Amino acid sequence: MSNAVLVDLNRCMGCRACQVACKAWNDNPGEVTLCLGCYDNPPYLSGDTWSLIRFSEVEDASERLHWVFAKWQCMHCEHPACVSACPVSALEKLEDGPVVYHANKCIGCRYCMMACPFQVPKVTWEDRLPLIRKCTFCADRQSEDMEPACVKACPTDALMFGERDALIAEARARIAAGPERYVDHIYGEAEAGGTSWLYLSPVPFEQLGFPAVGTEPAPALSDAVAVYGTPSMLVGVAALLGGIYWVTKRRAEVQREEEG
Amino acid sequence: MTNHWCDIQHSDCIMIVGSNAAENHPISFKWITKAIEEHGATLINIDPRFTRSSSKAHIYARIRSGTDIAFFGGMIKWVLDDMEEHLDDPDYYNRTYLVEYTNAAFLVDPEFLTAADGDGKFSGFVPGSDPRFGSYDTSTWKYQTDADGIPRKDPTLRSPHCVFQLLKRQYERYTPEMVCGVTGTDQETFLEVCETYARLTGPVGKSGTIMYAMGTTQHTHGTQNIRSYAILQLLLANIGVAGGGINALRGESNVQGSTDHALLFHILPGYLTPPKAPELTLQDHLDGRLAAFATADPKSASWWLNYPKYFVSLLKSWYGDNATEANDFGYEWLPKIDPAKNYSHIALFEAMAAGEITGLFCWGQNPAVGGPNSFAERQALQNLEWLVSVDLWETETCAFWQEPGLDPADVQTEVFALPAACSFEKEGSIINSGRWSQWRWQALEPPGDARPDMDIVNELMLRVIELYEEEGGVVPEPITMLRWRGWYDADPLPRGAASLVDLVSREINGWAEAEILNEDGSVQYEDGQLVSSFGHLKADGSTSSSNWLYTNSYTEADGNKQSRRDNVDVHPAGIGLYSNWAWCWPLNRRIIYNRAAVDLDGNPWDEEDFVIRWTGDGWEGDVPDGGWPPMSMEGTRYPFIMKPEGFARVFGPGLKDGPFPEHYEPLESPIVNPLSGTQNNPAIVVWRPEEIGSPEEYPIVCSTYRVTEHWQAGQMTRNLPWLVELMPQMFVEMSEELAAELDVANADLVTVESMRGQISAVAIVTKRFKPMQLNGRVVHQIGVPWHWGFQGLCVGDSANRLSPHVGDANTMIPEFKAFLVRVRKGGV
Repeated sequence: MSNAVLVDLNRCMGCRACQVACKAWNDNPGEVTLCLGCYDNPPYLSGDTWSLIRFSEVEDASERLHWVFAKWQCMHCEHPACVSACPVSALEKLEDGPVVYHANKCIGCRYCMMACPFQVPKVTWEDRLPLIRKCTFCADRQSEDMEPACVKACPTDALMFGERDALIAEARARIAAGPERYVDHIYGEAEAGGTSWLYLSPVPFEQLGFPAVGTEPAPALSDAVAVYGTPSMLVGVAALLGGIYWVTKRRAEVQREEEG
Repeated sequence: MTNHWCDIQHSDCIMIVGSNAAENHPISFKWITKAIEEHGATLINIDPRFTRSSSKAHIYARIRSGTDIAFFGGMIKWVLDDMEEHLDDPDYYNRTYLVEYTNAAFLVDPEFLTAADGDGKFSGFVPGSDPRFGSYDTSTWKYQTDADGIPRKDPTLRSPHCVFQLLKRQYERYTPEMVCGVTGTDQETFLEVCETYARLTGPVGKSGTIMYAMGTTQHTHGTQNIRSYAILQLLLANIGVAGGGINALRGESNVQGSTDHALLFHILPGYLTPPKAPELTLQDHLDGRLAAFATADPKSASWWLNYPKYFVSLLKSWYGDNATEANDFGYEWLPKIDPAKNYSHIALFEAMAAGEITGLFCWGQNPAVGGPNSFAERQALQNLEWLVSVDLWETETCAFWQEPGLDPADVQTEVFALPAACSFEKEGSIINSGRWSQWRWQALEPPGDARPDMDIVNELMLRVIELYEEEGGVVPEPITMLRWRGWYDADPLPRGAASLVDLVSREINGWAEAEILNEDGSVQYEDGQLVSSFGHLKADGSTSSSNWLYTNSYTEADGNKQSRRDNVDVHPAGIGLYSNWAWCWPLNRRIIYNRAAVDLDGNPWDEEDFVIRWTGDGWEGDVPDGGWPPMSMEGTRYPFIMKPEGFARVFGPGLKDGPFPEHYEPLESPIVNPLSGTQNNPAIVVWRPEEIGSPEEYPIVCSTYRVTEHWQAGQMTRNLPWLVELMPQMFVEMSEELAAELDVANADLVTVESMRGQISAVAIVTKRFKPMQLNGRVVHQIGVPWHWGFQGLCVGDSANRLSPHVGDANTMIPEFKAFLVRVRKGGV
């Protein structure tokens, strides 16, 4: 039984309370930004920004203007490529949905960043000890039976938290009740083999910049990297020993940072 | 709001106009979404720019800023024309409501002329020194009366002097072609709005709400904008019913409280009237008010006839035992208004500029950013001898002497900064747009020396009173006679109060100031007991209440009702009144004018979502607007009890600029008014005629507004990194077409100039703005948020350097929403 969030872009009015709630709960600092000729800010996910709203102005065939606000964050794939790609199990898919990161295991290889079909994981380049950062699906809150901070903050229930199958049924019911208001597509139901974040939209998802990732689970690719790539790593004994030394040192530093 | 937030869910059609509810009142969309998804409601949005609210609308109609009356006048005409055929058909309109509850059938003085007959002016205009502006002699703006003094009516609505026919005459010019030539709306969309709103909300049992905010009010004809919505709502029988109403979305979380408790110059708490200087005695003042509310009709309650009870109770609340019958309950000590003077925001700053006002308390307000023509207002601050700024942060107003480019040595003003606690750091009530007074408790200690506003006021006044008592003064009594020293600083606090804020809350509700007996001689109230209803307030000095509307908010039986948190809906139809959650004025009535929600026998127009209904021996549902039986029974009263005639006003003779709304152009406009030879509202006051820009030099219409991410003049949000990162810089939004004309690319720095000043801003070039076609002429409109200033984590030019020092004819609210500018590429 896995948890999910249904994002209904017909309900979202772009207030960005979710974006601020994410920063508040995770105690992430505000970034220094500039107005880039649009409302989007910060423009990209980063080590300090795990969730943001993308604003899209889309004119449909009848020249009707849609201004669509789409929350963007880790999709928490059912079969996460980042988890498969990680050689040291620093990323983990929890049973109830979240894909979480264990900083004390991370060796900083950034395979996860390469593997993610949605280009979500970011690294804190500016830190002396760069870490991977991304949305945790508020696994800490979920473990205490609380909904994610962004869902809690949403004033219009554009974000709905619940059991994935039930949310897919809810999404289908909304499309059936308002076929003129929704495109007949639940993004995330099948994308990348299925994700924990699901979307409904009034306009086709490609017009909002949602990547067309196919329905194949992305790990099929990264597993291959792992299967064929790992032995070649192991044959380099010197590299391995050097690696072990480096990883041990890094883990100690991570621990010091976390305690300090 | 006549209704309240949760009630929006019952609307069959929601019209957002002059408001960006999604952006500035996000929680409203919880209920709008419910109305759309669960009840199939339609959302209409009318706005100069395509906003976050527009993005959710089924119908979006673009309108040039400042042309609401043309648009709504056109809608009114559409409905009136449609009524020719359908008025008697309940599937289209509610004729009973129109005839029995509004003044549509009333006969008006035959000498009265509509603006259609006066080239844009109503009968009685008296030009001033500049003949374009003046005032009205309103002697013809009145009803015809019969021998008993009761207004004459024509229920057939056919008399040429009846309000219904005058309304037709007034708006016959407002054809779709004319309207769209003024507003710039495309005709097809305009007609779609008319038909949709009338068909969905006109039939008996259906309802529509109009949600408005500062986009409506901040015009030289702002009050009349609201009147035009009210007339439409009355024609469609949308007032008093669930899902209906005229709903002002207040611009701050406690603005409803600030007007209820009179943080304004033209009212006293509870919307009582400040006495004018010629009213020398209490009797003079009360006689004047009673004359205004007099009615000869026995079926009219004319509730304001209770005015003396509320006014004397207010005086008793302020002066306590010092207020006696012998001294007119301290009436003499009240400050009086000079009828020739204006005390609005604009006038106060003009007086500072003229050196007439030399000291200023600026309390939770930042006029150096938020005031109109803010550069002029910053200059006026330099004329002050002293300025006290009470705020959470060092605002631009507090730091005006440090503005970049200004040499502090040139400014002689002595500035005091008093740090205030924010809402989470203190206890008290906050009154939302739906009139709910909700108690809040302190969550945190304020930082440093910051203190709650009430503590600051109290300590200041205690010291001022002490000074007056020690040193005397020219007229010390208005200060020394207050029930203040020995009251707010008593230990223990009087009348069982647990804290200062608790004492003030009880005092707002009101007490018996002596033993009060029932008619049978039994004791109704002991001396010092809380009064449970404003019906019990007295004009003889035996009660006190510092706001009669709030009497019943704190009672001996139930304690502080504002602190109630029972979220069970006890309404029999389950319409979401949540009557035991907090408390709402008046008397916990959640939907006002609710006796218009039933027919003459007390049966609801809408059985399913009824507000009240007559059970045979009483009303059930919401607290009825007076407990009298239905209209068809003995002892009844008309439902609109606050008007002397008891009827809702389609014809509204109480305003300075006309009984019907007439379209005038904003003071600065790109076009000549096509509807009449009267260009601007003739009843406004123009302060700085030399600062009015011409369309030749300044061809672009500009409007100011707010964004979700920032709050007002920015002092609370431009200091928070999480909000600053979302909206880091001052910007200007413009259409792709205008940007192409100006050779401006997205994110370029541009300069926006008006007659008053110039600012730099980052250009956001967007499809959400479009040029407008006005009778074949192209007019561009741009928009600027007004949140920025030179203090805080993110700084930028203040949009109000551009806006004019001119206000609405009735309220003096500044015309922030429509003025002229020009734009060029590159910064200042």
